[in-house]
Amino acid sequence: MRTHRLMLVFHVLIMVVFGLLCWRVYFLQHCQADFYADEGYRSLHASSRQEPQRGRIFDSGGRRGRVLAASNKVQTVFVDASLLGHWDDVMETAAKLQKILDIDAAEICDTISNRRRQRFIRVKEGITESQREAIISANLRGVGIDVQWRRFYPMGDLTSHVVGFIGGSTDPNDWDRIGLAGIERTYESQLKGTRGNHVFLVDTRRYPIGLDTSRSMAARDGSSVVLTIDSTIQEFTRSALTKQIRAYEAESGVAIVMDPWTGAILAMVSLPDFDPSDFGKADAGRLRNRAVSDPFEPGSIFKPIVVAAALDKGLIRTTDHFYCEDGYYAKYRIGEWANNRFGNMSVKAILTESSNIGMAKIGQKMGQTALYDGVRLFGFGQPTGVDMPGEDAGMLRPPREWSSYTVTRIPYGHEISVTAIQVTRAFAILANGGSPVTPHMVQSIIDDAGNVTQVGRRANLAGHLIKPEVAAWLVREAMVSVIKEGTGKEAALGKWQSWGKTGTANIAMGGGYDSVNYTASFVGGAPADVPRVVTLVSIRKPNKALGKGYSGGRVAAPVFREIMEKTMAYLEESVQ
Amino acid sequence: MSRSRLVYIVLLFTAILVGTVDMRISSSRAFFRWRRALVEQDNLKRQLMRKELQLEELLNPSVISEHVNRGERVP
Repeated sequence: MRTHRLMLVFHVLIMVVFGLLCWRVYFLQHCQADFYADEGYRSLHASSRQEPQRGRIFDSGGRRGRVLAASNKVQTVFVDASLLGHWDDVMETAAKLQKILDIDAAEICDTISNRRRQRFIRVKEGITESQREAIISANLRGVGIDVQWRRFYPMGDLTSHVVGFIGGSTDPNDWDRIGLAGIERTYESQLKGTRGNHVFLVDTRRYPIGLDTSRSMAARDGSSVVLTIDSTIQEFTRSALTKQIRAYEAESGVAIVMDPWTGAILAMVSLPDFDPSDFGKADAGRLRNRAVSDPFEPGSIFKPIVVAAALDKGLIRTTDHFYCEDGYYAKYRIGEWANNRFGNMSVKAILTESSNIGMAKIGQKMGQTALYDGVRLFGFGQPTGVDMPGEDAGMLRPPREWSSYTVTRIPYGHEISVTAIQVTRAFAILANGGSPVTPHMVQSIIDDAGNVTQVGRRANLAGHLIKPEVAAWLVREAMVSVIKEGTGKEAALGKWQSWGKTGTANIAMGGGYDSVNYTASFVGGAPADVPRVVTLVSIRKPNKALGKGYSGGRVAAPVFREIMEKTMAYLEESVQ
Repeated sequence: MSRSRLVYIVLLFTAILVGTVDMRISSSRAFFRWRRALVEQDNLKRQLMRKELQLEELLNPSVISEHVNRGERVP
């Protein structure tokens, strides 16, 4: 009986133990299945992230595109302080690194001692090949070499505002470096590429022994962008503008060179500028591309636009004359530039001599609606669509907000603000015979497989915003006359017939105008028969106290001349 | 089963095992060489790119202008 009872207990115990084992098997195989599958996978695999190479940015560059921005891998020596136990180890490592990297051992010790718990302490960035080999052969404990992409800008500040720069993302979950300005920002999605991931099979010591191709994905490098900018023309433009800004102690300046037939921008300079490799040191004023983001009252460079609109609508004729009030239009409180006293003037003479009163009367003849529509037709008050970030639309108030003075002010470039790119585009429309163009910076995009996508587009020469004969008269007659007989004599070229318009605009401030400071501008092109290039130069706040002049004809026109002389010769040479 | 047949089976089994291990080691070595070649290729590309960027810096129109303005020979 007793034996029978013991056997029963024994059987029950076996059943319980077996039941527990079954439950454990069920728990491991079912409840914890995913966890152990992951553990098993992890012990057999290792993955490595592959960062793509950011696309390059090239200029149009004549025979070969110059590199304006490119990424390259840079090797950085770092120390994992957690692997350096005692202070003696730190000193020994620092002493060995001193010999290889040519950095003072005490300096290395200081760097490490300040951050003893960190696993990545940067010692030197951008080591040479011989230094790399020396570090590898020295086999120093706690010392490693990290390889990361870095962006280079070989042209430095020459194309800083055009190319832009990259920096840390503002998204706290994204540590990538992204385009923050210029083309780097506008074409971020094309330039950045796609990140890859390599999954390796590893042995028990975690050494890779094979590539798991089914789970690996290769990185796709970013597309390269070819700009319409030509670095040589950019240099002509920048050096001429820099020289004049220094000579006149001006606050800032912009210059744009554009192909009027396509809207392609050949050069765009905004001064002061910055070094894109070290943009952190530049203040906000330097980082701003004033050519697209800073609206200003254009002054007299706006006159040809209003005349074009008036002629196109048939509201005035080229043979019309306007009485210019002998120098002062009392009813509207308008005076002439340099206290000139003009009587009856033709439309051409109004532009040649830059008469404010003549333009005010043209504005009155047009009326509010026609004036507003005409100015809008040239794209003022709206962004041009240039592929640059931060473009300002300028300011053109609707007629319902106009005062009785406005219709007399806008015709000579007051009570309206425009950007340099808007004015350049408007003059390009005049230069190409009245066809609309979209200013653009990029001519093509080349993906990592070498496929080329054309981005730049020609003007629609079949459609006209204004009549071709109106555009031709303004360019070949009126604005050539500005150069030959008017305010733009300093913009005359030796070999080519230039055309254009000067402007000296008061700077609006606090509901009035600054009586001391001006914006001196010149915009025009060459040659007159078939314009090849349109150029705008605008210099803000030349120092009047220097006594050298401050007008557009004196300050901006010589810059235009220098840019155009060199650019036209260069373009002719390129064709040959 | 005869004794010689048993020995033959044991030897064959051993040879297969040794062959498998050898192939596995060869595969790992080939993979290692391939990865090393990739790293070396990457390294050469980086050096080439560095030279290209140095060349671009030397051909920077601003640098050439400075030399021309100073009346120096362009490097």
